Amino acid sequence: MKDIKFPVSDYMPDSCIPDGPIEQKWTKYKREAKLINPNNRRKYTVLIVGSGLAGGSAAATLAELGYNVKCFCYQDSPRRAHSIAAQGGINAAHNYQNDGDSVYRLFYDTVKGGDFRAREANVYRLAEVSCDIINQCVAQGVPFGREYGGLLDNRSFGGAQLKRTFYSRGQTGQQLLLGCYQAMEKEIGKGHIEMHPRTEMMDLVVVDGHAKGIVVRDLVTGEIKSYAGDTVLLATGGYGRVFFLSTNAMGCNVGAACACWKKGAYFANPCFTQIHPTCIPVKGDYQSKLTLMSESLRNDGRIWVPKSKETAEKIRKGEMKASDVPESERDYYLERKYPSFGNLAPRDISSRAAKEACDDGRGVATTGRGVFLDFKDSIARMGKEWIDGQYGNLFEMYEEITDVDPHKEPMMIYPASHYTMGGLWVDYNLMSSIPGLHVLGEANFSDHGANRLGASALMQGLSDGYFVISSTLPTYLTTQKPGSVTTAAPEFKEAEEAVKARIKKMMDVKGTKTPDEIHRELGKLIWEDVGMGRTKESLMDAIEKLPAIRDEFWNNVKIVGSTEGINMELEKAWRVAAFLDFAPLLCYDALAREESCGAHFRLEHQLADGEAKRDDEHFAYVACWEYKGTDQLPVLHKEPLTFDNVHLAIRSYK
Amino acid sequence: MATLNLTLKVWRQENAQAQGRIETYQAKNIPDEASFLEMLDIVNEELVHEGKEPIHFDHDCREGICGMCSLTINGVPHGGKKVTTCQLHMRQFKDGDTIWIEPFRAKAFPLLRDLIVDRSALDKIIAAGGFVDIRTGAAPNANNMPVRKKTADAAFDAAACIGCGACVASCKNSSAMLFTSAKAAHLNLLPQGYPEKNKRVLAMVRQMDALGFGNCTNQYECEAACPKGVSVDNIAKLNRDYMIACASEAVGVFS
Amino acid sequence: MNDIITTACKFVTSSIGRKILVALTGACLLLFLVGHLAGNMTIYGGCAECGGKSWIDYYAMGLHSMPAWLLWAIRLGLAAVFVIHVLLALVLKYENYNARTHYQKEGTLKATLSSRTMVITGVMILAFLLLHLWQLTLNGDPANCYEHVVRGFQNPVCSAAYIIAICCLFMHVRHGVQSVMQTLGLGTRKVRPLYNIVAVLFALVVCAGFISIPVAVLTGLLH
Repeated sequence: MKDIKFPVSDYMPDSCIPDGPIEQKWTKYKREAKLINPNNRRKYTVLIVGSGLAGGSAAATLAELGYNVKCFCYQDSPRRAHSIAAQGGINAAHNYQNDGDSVYRLFYDTVKGGDFRAREANVYRLAEVSCDIINQCVAQGVPFGREYGGLLDNRSFGGAQLKRTFYSRGQTGQQLLLGCYQAMEKEIGKGHIEMHPRTEMMDLVVVDGHAKGIVVRDLVTGEIKSYAGDTVLLATGGYGRVFFLSTNAMGCNVGAACACWKKGAYFANPCFTQIHPTCIPVKGDYQSKLTLMSESLRNDGRIWVPKSKETAEKIRKGEMKASDVPESERDYYLERKYPSFGNLAPRDISSRAAKEACDDGRGVATTGRGVFLDFKDSIARMGKEWIDGQYGNLFEMYEEITDVDPHKEPMMIYPASHYTMGGLWVDYNLMSSIPGLHVLGEANFSDHGANRLGASALMQGLSDGYFVISSTLPTYLTTQKPGSVTTAAPEFKEAEEAVKARIKKMMDVKGTKTPDEIHRELGKLIWEDVGMGRTKESLMDAIEKLPAIRDEFWNNVKIVGSTEGINMELEKAWRVAAFLDFAPLLCYDALAREESCGAHFRLEHQLADGEAKRDDEHFAYVACWEYKGTDQLPVLHKEPLTFDNVHLAIRSYK
Repeated sequence: MATLNLTLKVWRQENAQAQGRIETYQAKNIPDEASFLEMLDIVNEELVHEGKEPIHFDHDCREGICGMCSLTINGVPHGGKKVTTCQLHMRQFKDGDTIWIEPFRAKAFPLLRDLIVDRSALDKIIAAGGFVDIRTGAAPNANNMPVRKKTADAAFDAAACIGCGACVASCKNSSAMLFTSAKAAHLNLLPQGYPEKNKRVLAMVRQMDALGFGNCTNQYECEAACPKGVSVDNIAKLNRDYMIACASEAVGVFS
Repeated sequence: MNDIITTACKFVTSSIGRKILVALTGACLLLFLVGHLAGNMTIYGGCAECGGKSWIDYYAMGLHSMPAWLLWAIRLGLAAVFVIHVLLALVLKYENYNARTHYQKEGTLKATLSSRTMVITGVMILAFLLLHLWQLTLNGDPANCYEHVVRGFQNPVCSAAYIIAICCLFMHVRHGVQSVMQTLGLGTRKVRPLYNIVAVLFALVVCAGFISIPVAVLTGLLH
């Protein structure tokens, strides 16, 4: 096996972290930040791509401030962005439970949860604004869970030893997104936001080195159009559907981020992909997505597999029911391995432990890829009614999908691709390496390091959108003359033509495979080789096989219909093409990172007890990849990570 | 795992202007564990292989929360099993069944293609008043205002609406009262939304009327078709709130 | 004053406002039904063939001996209520029809037959009412009301038409009662089943009362 030598560059853009003690950085930044006169703000046009928690909250906030906002989403309404599917909750350091929480502790837990691969200053800022987010959402009318006294309730979540998670039953993401959507609609109604639903970003337009516009496809008419602005905010979520089967929505894709990468934005830490431990196991080849069961279930559910392979075999064949397995025959492996965190061990650890149990032949579900999540004890202790009050909708959802009542038989779960910590590189201002291109939410890399803790994604999306970007955007905008670039600039025409040519090229292939078939093939390869446990061999295997799948697409894809009007096959094909361009990068990054940390687990790098072996000496950096061409290796830039406020330790949840 | 063979009667229409028609398709060997949309995926994959245009439908999250999937199945939006179409599973059907699949129908939901309709009218109702008019950053501490748990729960029940439009599509009058009333109730119930209650109710109802939805005749078909179990109690509340708001606007009582 | 007029105009052109008016006028008509039934029941009182008059004759004469202004006030009031109820309901129906596009395969989960046929039953009732007024109010003689009624119902066609009309009334009222409560904002999950029971009982009692008269005539109980 030949080694790949990645070109490394010494150049690294400034991450613009304010100096001073960590707890004063954000305050200091805001104190010294540039401001734009309210009357001048409307002269600036802000293009926002994506209307989830990050994009939607940014759109609403910037419109309230007076900027001229244009927002784009591929769904038929901004209310449908996939943030809506987040179930469990949102973290904040309010310490309403009086259990010792503080901004520092939330910061610490997040950095530690991310296995020390996140940028300290960003995470601290995130923890700092967390309380403002809750205040903001409550004021918007988000119906958080409350106690009988009328005050807000909290629950605990993976990776934390206290209760800091605010929730709205099992639909927290939905309620937060509706809050933010309503704020957006308020501004749409007032004419401050121009909303473009059913519109997909196809390319970024860079004029004189600055991001000044986007090319979009109107998904209803099929028309390719351009929009110019003074800055572009990308909030297009993650790339979890590179695995084909994931908990993401069917439309989630890397297209916009990949287009920006190709235009010069660095892609950071793409190998940090989170595999969520509690999803409903795969049933068959026809399956289109995997359904997440909220991590909050682990508060009251106990995870186990049979102690013996024989029992597991019987369960798989349907000869034995899970509820008939005696206590002595059950292996509550998370409680056994991690006594202090137990079933609430962080996601990466829980996922890997499930995989190990199944690799050991003790998995359940017909495929052998499943473990039990059992509520028997909690129902006995707290009563069915209480459990239903906490998780009613999740239980119903599970029963709808599997036809099994989790009150009677334990749920079956298995890890699935869920969230991507990696994303476009941004500085403290959330600006990428292309001036003027800001990246928010899951689409950027900054806050979760190598692993995201539960209930932190909602926090980050809203933090970026409500509180961070409104303060950092003027830093860039004040350097720009408003409205200086229009779609008349030749770059727009060029980008439009390139998009049209690419569409024509794929339409003209007229092969035999549907975009979904190729996507499934790609997903299978990535899941096998770059999934929960990675090795140099598996990564090299993927790197060798990927070009063939890519060639298959460009030589054998079959897209029926025309480029005009609604064509869902063309939409799928466009997105698959982007995944195919992006997938090698995921493998390169995983290969280059010769250590195990967080969600990135290299089997070669583990401690004697099977835990991740981090290599802080060589890999305490953000890997930023610069695009150099489809057939060229990307160039690696390194942003060193320094930890002045937390002690670099082996992450232990024992 | 059992498999099903089904006859599908599907509404096909190339675009808004084209003449629509029902076409018949055979869905063969459909696993009963598959969801309804996965069944359509399988049928579409075959159509594409035959070089035909697939059946276009809206869908996204496929876990019953985004509200993007629609489809009227055998005359009932989402099939009437109290779940969204994406969460409807084929085990609900029998081998040999004939299934009628049509778009969500209402004048206020113009058809775009096949089973895809434009539901942006619902967004316009929200834009008229379905919000709390505060600006980011001005919020007081979240625990400054206690909310009775019962009130919070009722607000949540109303807020569970996913905006799919099944209420409109199921209504014999294409009324959007359940959707409008759910959002109005959610915000009117909470102390945070109370200050704008009258203004909100008037604005939302007037917008709803202007968009060409029908009038509610209290048949409760909407409640039965709602995949999230949103109650028609909200409609009664909106009627009540509307009277109060009109009284307030006209003569200044209850203001 | 301007505010009042503006709001009133908006109220009577809004969907909820017009529904409230239909509900309120419907409620008035329900009360009228109760009164009318009570009056009709007097047919069972007194003894026509033993030389004396039936109570219904006294009742009819009593109505006619009211001061003209009062009689006409009641008549016009009722007519106004009726016209508002019918007109607004028809306008709403017209809008509802226009708001809808139709399914090739219709399905229904919960909407009752009576709720779906409100306009049909309503129009039937309207047609009947005009006939009823023509037969009894315009061409009747209050002094010989009993005789007039009995003679009328001895015609089986007339009785059948009456019974069909009252069946329509049953359907109309059965949905109408609970619909009034919901539209006036008094519906909740807890009381709605109760309204349904009340609606059915009310419709049953009222319609049974009305239908009893032709039945009694046809069976010879009244002659």
